[in-house]
Amino acid sequence: MTRYRKQDPEMTRRRFINAAMGTTATVGIVSLVGVLGTANPVFRLTRDKMPPVEGDVLVHASASKEGEIIKPSELSEQLIRAWPMGKDKEGNNLIRKGDPNNVLAVFRYPKGQIVAPTNLEATIDGEIVAYSDICTHAGCSVSDDDQQEGQMKCPCHSGQYDPKRGCIVVGGPPPRPLAQLPIKMDGDKLVVAGFFLENPYPFTEAEWEARKEAVKAQLA
Amino acid sequence: MNQWLDERLHISRLNDKFLRKAFPVHHSFFLGEITLFSLIILIITGIVLALSYEPSNSLIVNSFDPGTADKPNLIPAAYHSALKINAMPFGDMLRRVHHWTANIMVAAAVIHMMRIYFTGAFKKPREINWWIGMLLLIFTALTAVTGYILPYDNYAYNTVKVVYGIAASIPWIGSWLAQAAFAGNFPGEGIIPRIYGYHIMLLPGILLALTGAHMLLMIKQKHTQPQYAKRIAYKKIVGVPLLTQQTPIMLMLTLLFAGIVLLFSAFIPVHPVEFFGPPSTTPIQNIKPDWYLLWVFGALAIIPSFELTIFGGIIGSEFVGAILLPTVVIAAMFAVPMLDRSKDNNYYAENPTNHPVRLAIGTSFMALLIIMSVAGYKPDLISANVLTTGNANTVLWILMFVVPAVTYFATIGIVRGIRALREADERESLAHSTAAADD
Ligand code: FES
Repeated sequence: MTRYRKQDPEMTRRRFINAAMGTTATVGIVSLVGVLGTANPVFRLTRDKMPPVEGDVLVHASASKEGEIIKPSELSEQLIRAWPMGKDKEGNNLIRKGDPNNVLAVFRYPKGQIVAPTNLEATIDGEIVAYSDICTHAGCSVSDDDQQEGQMKCPCHSGQYDPKRGCIVVGGPPPRPLAQLPIKMDGDKLVVAGFFLENPYPFTEAEWEARKEAVKAQLA
Repeated sequence: MNQWLDERLHISRLNDKFLRKAFPVHHSFFLGEITLFSLIILIITGIVLALSYEPSNSLIVNSFDPGTADKPNLIPAAYHSALKINAMPFGDMLRRVHHWTANIMVAAAVIHMMRIYFTGAFKKPREINWWIGMLLLIFTALTAVTGYILPYDNYAYNTVKVVYGIAASIPWIGSWLAQAAFAGNFPGEGIIPRIYGYHIMLLPGILLALTGAHMLLMIKQKHTQPQYAKRIAYKKIVGVPLLTQQTPIMLMLTLLFAGIVLLFSAFIPVHPVEFFGPPSTTPIQNIKPDWYLLWVFGALAIIPSFELTIFGGIIGSEFVGAILLPTVVIAAMFAVPMLDRSKDNNYYAENPTNHPVRLAIGTSFMALLIIMSVAGYKPDLISANVLTTGNANTVLWILMFVVPAVTYFATIGIVRGIRALREADERESLAHSTAAADD
């Protein structure tokens, strides 16, 4: 054995191939991330996509009566789906259904039945109450419960809510209650009195705060 | 002409290499072929459907029911084109064939994998093909899901909403990922073009590439040999060559299969878009995914609600039920070949009863998936008064553990019984043969 091992001054073929493959993979991944960036389009907060804002009028969302203003006399313990209707830049009526997550559920109960944790200040006389109709689980539209009168059930994974108690979850997988929307009377119309009290689906708390700020900034 | 072709294309080499590939003669070996034929039928019918489909969710006036000038009846273009396809001659039939074949493809793939698992065909040297097969299964399911979003009726709309919700439930990156995958906030203007791209370009491309790799490997490694081959010619490949013996069998199988699919399609309607109507705020009662995803749906239905915040990421029941749990199940299936420690190559399909533990694990795994799928029917079970809202979760959770356990031990017991009988048989015939020799 000699003390000197044979030193190959040149790169071995294997090392070259490994290095080349490594470089290709890195470049490839970086460019792929770039391409994925373009896959995600920018979101423009147009007025039809805004969440319900103060002053919006509640109109029917069901296909047969869409756009008709909801009268308090039509309301009952049966869920009525509603859209918020605001104004566009020219001041024309605009139903905010660009974001389908804006759909609302409106109920009317005899006085005294709506209790905490519902925010009674945000209801009309403790009788008429409005919530986001979007299940906090995976975003399905929540219906009346066909089993229990006066409760709500989500058809997707059978999440259940109690609309008389702030729409708390009484069954199934949803993580949070449905967000309550403050409303008030204006003549014979139901009018939105402010933003949702909690973050509605699909927003996290932080995202919801940011969205409220964005809406205020745009409308100011 | 043969010679002319041969001089240019070396047909004879191709013949030796591929066309003489030996196919084992056993009906369970047709399952993979059925999966392949389904893919071919799906591609052909899919191309024809794509010719009349309009991949856009922009609202247009419904030409079947235009409404009035000041209140036009607007529906998404994709939905409108689905209505138009139904109105063309054999259009509805075409959709049904496509739909049924998709279901059969998944079913055939699942049973094919069961055959591979129970006979030990995943063992060395075929592990890679098991993994490719798993990928094929996953991408087939994804292709199917993107497919039933395309008609963009109310059902599809609710489906994609839930799929979006699942993607968005991944902690930290969820909302970014969901927006990237579905072209913005749900339901963005580009959601249908995006899913159309997945369904007709990306996913079929992946499926074809994987299928090619799957089959090349299979040709290289040969099929596992059925048991009879061991008796006829040990360590030799036994079977009929692709050309000419297997080809007529395959053709017959294709025709038979196509016939069955057409019969199904003629009599059993699928996904009636007119019934579901265009996307709307009215939810569909008891909406369910297709049978092969029902187990995930069932898991979602019985997972209790919770929400954890870790480093700003939200981990909720949605993520655990629809992402984490299927990942665990799929990972377990991926790991199957690694649990086998044999060093030697496996040539022969094994008799499942000689491997009772593997058999029992397989059956109890299937029992688990079935129970989870039953859990998907929770609302229906409650409406039918089989369970109550109060006890449904408890009962289903208990069943989820008890039924697989019972299945496991029952399988082992049955296998023991079968083996005892077989051994008794052998002893008896041995006794007879020695008795006969004594005479
Ligand atoms: S979306 Fe409502 S329970 Fe899952």
